[in-house]
Amino acid sequence: MSAELSTQGLVLTATGLSAGYDRRAIVSAIDVQASPGKVVSIVGPNGSGKSTLLKSLVGVVRVLDGHVTVGDVDTTNMASEEIAKIGIGYVPQVEDVFPPLSVKENLEIGGYLLARREIPDRIEAVLEFFPRLKGMMTRKAGKLSGGERKMLAMGRVLMLSPSVLVLDEPTANLAPMVATQLLEEYIRGFADHGSTVLLVEQRAKAALRISDWTYVLGGGRIVLSGAPRDLEQNPAFVESFLGGGAAPPPSSD
Amino acid sequence: MSSFGFGLMTAAVLAIATVGFTMQFAVTNVLNLAYGSIMINSAFVAYYANAHGVTAWASLPFGVATGAAASWALNRFVFTPFQRRNPAPITVVIVALGVDLIGTFGLQAIVGGSYVSYHQSQGHEYHIVGMFLSGLQLIILAICAVVLVTIHWLLRYTRLGKAMRATSANPNLARNSGVKTQFIISTTWLISGALCGLAGVVFAMNTGVFEATSAQLYIVLLLAAMFLGGPGEPYGAMFGALVIGLSTEISAAYVNPQYKEVIAFVALLGMLTFRPYGIFGSEKTL
Ligand SMILES: Nc1ncnc2c1ncn2[C@@H]1O[C@H](COP(=O)(O)OP(=O)(O)OP(=O)(O)O)[C@@H](O)[C@H]1O
Ligand SMILES: [Mg+2]
Repeated sequence: MSAELSTQGLVLTATGLSAGYDRRAIVSAIDVQASPGKVVSIVGPNGSGKSTLLKSLVGVVRVLDGHVTVGDVDTTNMASEEIAKIGIGYVPQVEDVFPPLSVKENLEIGGYLLARREIPDRIEAVLEFFPRLKGMMTRKAGKLSGGERKMLAMGRVLMLSPSVLVLDEPTANLAPMVATQLLEEYIRGFADHGSTVLLVEQRAKAALRISDWTYVLGGGRIVLSGAPRDLEQNPAFVESFLGGGAAPPPSSD
Repeated sequence: MSSFGFGLMTAAVLAIATVGFTMQFAVTNVLNLAYGSIMINSAFVAYYANAHGVTAWASLPFGVATGAAASWALNRFVFTPFQRRNPAPITVVIVALGVDLIGTFGLQAIVGGSYVSYHQSQGHEYHIVGMFLSGLQLIILAICAVVLVTIHWLLRYTRLGKAMRATSANPNLARNSGVKTQFIISTTWLISGALCGLAGVVFAMNTGVFEATSAQLYIVLLLAAMFLGGPGEPYGAMFGALVIGLSTEISAAYVNPQYKEVIAFVALLGMLTFRPYGIFGSEKTL
C-alpha cells in the first residue's frame, strides 16, 4: 500500500465516558484507548452501543460524562468539523457517502480541508489504493454496489491522510473474501504504517485476527477486554462470540 | 400565441424564485412558506428606491439585498432558535406561515393597499417567433438565463456549491469531512434569499402594477413547480417552473385568469399523490 495515505498516529483515549441521545446514556463508564501502530477492535451484540460509542468519540453524539483526548488535545464534545481537522477519519456504519454526489465529488468533499491544488494528487493516491473506483468517478455514489460504496467511504476519509481511523463495521455487507482483504491488507496495513485504528466489527473471529487489543461491549459497558490471544482462551467470550465459528449476520443499524 | 409569451415570462420569474426556494429547502431543511412575503417586501424596497430617483434597474440590487438580509435574519432569529428545540416539522411550517402573514400584512399596514408600479419604460417591442416581447421582458428572460447558469455553475463546480450539496445530502458526514455546515447553511440563506429578492423585483416588473398582497398566493406556484421537478432539484425546479408557468397562463387564456393558482394547486395535488419526489427526483437530491 502507499504509505502517504496514512500519517503517524495519535493516541486516542476515552476515560469514564458516558454518551447517548437526548441526555439518556446509552454507553457509560467507558475506558478505551487506541494507539499508533495498533488495531484496537470493539465487538459486542447488536444494540450494545458500539456505534454510539464511536459517534461520541467523533463529535456526532453528545458526551454526557468523562473525557476524550486525541494526542494532547481534549476533544470532548468538540464539533465534528474540528475533530476532522485534528486528523480523525470516521467511517460510519450507515450513511457513509453522499448519495447524490458523484464518486469524484465525494472524494473532493473528503479533501475539503485541503488546499485546492493538493486535491487531484490525493485523489490519485486514493485511486491507486482502491483501483475499482477509477472507472466510476462520474457515477453517483448512491448508484454503487455495497462493496464499491464501502471503498468510497474509506477513500473519502483517506483523502486527509488521517492519523486516527475510526471505522464502524467496515466489512458489513461485503463478500467474505473482500471483507478479509479489507481487514487483513488495508486496515491492518494502516496500523503497520503507523496509524491508529479503532474498529467496530461484527465478525469477531476476523477482528481478533488483525487486532492488537479487543474490547467487548455489552449493555453499554465494557464487559471484557484483552489481547486476542487471551480472549480466545476465555470460555465466556468463546461461547458468546466465537461459538459455532460462523460470523453473526451483519447488522444494518 | 400571446398567452404563450405571458406563460414564458411567468415561467422565467417562477424559475428564478423556485431555484432559490428549492435550494433553501434542500440545504437548510426548512420549507420557508414566508418566501412570497419576502419577495413582495423586496419588491417594495426596490420600489421606494425607484420612487426616490434611482432608476428601476439600479434599484434592483436594493431588492436583492433586502431578500438576502431578510432571509438570513429570518433563519438566524426565527427558524434557528425554533429548530434548536427539535420541533415537529409541522411546527416549523406553522411558524413560517405566521411569518408570511406578518410580512405581508405588516407591509400592507406600512405601504397601504393601493397599487404601485416602477417608473420604467417597457422598451422597444420585438416580434420573436410569433411572440411580441418588450425590451423589459427580454431583459427579464436574460436575467433568468444568467441566474440559472450561475446557480448551475455554483452547485456543480465550486467548493461552496459542493459543500452545499454535501450538507443537503448528509450533514453529519459533511461535518465529519470538515465542512462547517452552520456556515454553509447561513450562506445558503443569503444566496437563496438574494434569489428571492431578485424574483420579487422581476415579478413586480413583469406584472407591471402590484400591491402588498400581490405575491400572497405565489407560494402555490412555487410549491407546484418545486414538487413537479422534485424537491431539492435545481434542474427540476427550472423544468417545473416552465411547465407551471406555461400551463397556468395558457389555461388562464381559455378559462378565467382568476383560476391560475387553482390550476397550479391541482398540479401540486396530482404530483403529491402520484410522484411525491417529482418527475426526475428521488427524494432530496441537490
Ligand atoms: N439516534 C438515536 N436515538 C435514540 N436512540 C438510539 C439512536 N441510535 C441508536 N439508539 C439506541 O442506542 C442503542 C445502541 O445502539 P447502537 O447503534 O450504538 O448499537 P450497536 O452496538 O452499534 O448495534 P449494531 O451492532 O446493531 O450496529 C440501541 O438501543 C439503539 O436503539
Ligand atoms: Mg452499530
